[in-house]
Amino acid sequence: MATQTEQQTGSDEQNLGPLQQWTQGVLSDQEKQQRLYRALFYVAAIFFLVTTLFPFYWLLVLALTPNSAILGGDWSLPVIGLEFPHPQGFNVVAFVEVFQQVPFHLYVFNSFVLAVTTTIIVIAVASLAGYVFGRLDFPGRGPLLLGILVVSYFPPAAFLIPLFDAFLGNAVVLPFVGIELFEPPRLVNTPGAMIMPFSALFLPLSIFILMTFYSQIPDGLEDAARVEGTTRLGALVRVIMPLSAPGVATAAVLTFIAVYNEYFFSEIMALENVPQNWSPLVGGILSYQDQYTTDFNLMAAASIVGVLPMLILVIVAQEKIVSGLTAGALKE
Amino acid sequence: MSAETDGQVPAAEQHSRRSGPLVAVTRWLENLGETAFAYLLLTPVFLLLGSIALYPLLRTFELSLYANVLGAGEPEFVGFQNYVEMFTGARNADFPGSTTFLPATETSSSFPFIHVDGWLRSALIVTLLFTVVSVFFETIIGFGQALVLDQEFRGRRWVRAAIIIPWAIPIVIQGMIFYLMFHPSTGFLTPYLSSIGLVAGTNTLNDPWSALLIVTVADIWKTSAFMALLILAGLQSIDRSLYDVAKVAGATKWQQFKMITFPLVLPAVGIAILFRTIDAMRIYGLIDSVSSCTVVPSLSCMVVETFNTARGLSSAVAFVTAAIIGLLVTIVIIQQVREGI
Repeated sequence: MATQTEQQTGSDEQNLGPLQQWTQGVLSDQEKQQRLYRALFYVAAIFFLVTTLFPFYWLLVLALTPNSAILGGDWSLPVIGLEFPHPQGFNVVAFVEVFQQVPFHLYVFNSFVLAVTTTIIVIAVASLAGYVFGRLDFPGRGPLLLGILVVSYFPPAAFLIPLFDAFLGNAVVLPFVGIELFEPPRLVNTPGAMIMPFSALFLPLSIFILMTFYSQIPDGLEDAARVEGTTRLGALVRVIMPLSAPGVATAAVLTFIAVYNEYFFSEIMALENVPQNWSPLVGGILSYQDQYTTDFNLMAAASIVGVLPMLILVIVAQEKIVSGLTAGALKE
Repeated sequence: MSAETDGQVPAAEQHSRRSGPLVAVTRWLENLGETAFAYLLLTPVFLLLGSIALYPLLRTFELSLYANVLGAGEPEFVGFQNYVEMFTGARNADFPGSTTFLPATETSSSFPFIHVDGWLRSALIVTLLFTVVSVFFETIIGFGQALVLDQEFRGRRWVRAAIIIPWAIPIVIQGMIFYLMFHPSTGFLTPYLSSIGLVAGTNTLNDPWSALLIVTVADIWKTSAFMALLILAGLQSIDRSLYDVAKVAGATKWQQFKMITFPLVLPAVGIAILFRTIDAMRIYGLIDSVSSCTVVPSLSCMVVETFNTARGLSSAVAFVTAAIIGLLVTIVIIQQVREGI
């Protein structure tokens, strides 16, 4: 683009159209160039803001508009008549009805319990592993790390069938040998049936994040603690983990978000979408879609309530999310 | 690590003055060699990943070699029959839904390459199509977002938060948003889009092509941010002095982008694409919440829809899904090994 117009620069500059004159100006004048780039930048930034935020605006519009008006489907603006989605009314009651129609708070509560428990397990297990991979040198380290990485990529669907069998209480059979190992307790409809797969699936990312952070703590600090008489594990808990607090927080935030947002096991491992079966947020939202198929304003209001915790988390822990995601993927 | 030999003596001495099982365990732990200690600390990881990932993966493969194992009697060993029938279309009746996604045999006879209703009732093609299209657009949009976030400007933090938010919302709510945007009763977009022929005007979310398009757009909306963050990390690792040199040499912004930014950020883009591709191949929840697995069949959909009725077949589909992703993972492994993990 630029190279083409550049070649013309030397040619007849007198008889040019306004557009060509403008391109000439931009090419020769640094300041005009800066202004063009600035304008392009603002256009792009606004475009991305509008496209990412509009769907949330749409939720808000639907939640505040009484359902009868939604079904009427007339979105024309009052004065100009232009079709544009805007709230028709201020029906805040929808946010109360969300909790009356189905026990939505119980679903959200389940989600929180599952997310917090999984996060604690993941941080505990990943801390040990992160310490080992980040600070110890032992034979088999590379292949093991790679193996853990690989596991996290496989689709949940590849684990589903045997896990579901086991969680129903059927005997665990040693593959290809046919020896029945043991009969597990029936775990479906309990938190265990979700926490176990969640912990396994989201463990690798936390291991990588914690490994990176733990390896950066100087050896001297650990040595000092050990001279004071602390054990190796004591040094991990009392020295390395507190010093890596930002890393631990990053791993915890990302695990929490991942569990809260998970769909696959959340939907399958609770056999019915009722909070008594530990069905999390997924069940709450889907029960609106399945049972109250025309209460569109409640669907929108429920979605807003479900999104709020994540909204707050993103605003509060933005830096952690960014650094954790990039560290996990790029191994900085 | 030298820490071990330095610290061991005082620690052991101190504990030896007390007694009891806890002290004994602590002393035993302290006296373990580094390798033994490392493997001991890794046992929880092994237990968890072994029971939740490795065992199911192997067991799925085993189950896929048997005829449908549900019901009475001993399961019958059939070898790779499930796999063969899955690809020839012999078991299409066992897959959910009555419509095949892509044109049936009469249309596709002239285009052998889209004669795919036999391939797991087009689930394979749907998954690949979804993956390629969504990752392609996510890369472009993510790159754009990364370029914006790479600038210094007031309110950058807020713009970045706004761009990340879609990534951080639950899949089920993402599905609900797009369900509400395109549902014929509420979606104000549907009339416009159907008038230009992009989506079906009525029953939009149950029309295969419309639903696939909407699911793809929904995925692009949510995960472009992930791409953007990875690419942004790549952009910010570029040595800024290169741009100073370019400026002195009189390069325009476009030339700087073409000669410096683009080639240097390409490896980060490649990794981001790989990660997204692996992730996109798993698509299930979005389809289930926006439309339905019978309308837009993906590989994971087929597993979920059949695992209670046709266990052997379902396991075969699950293992094929894992194998395809395994191929992509191999690329990751090669790259990691080359980097020296």
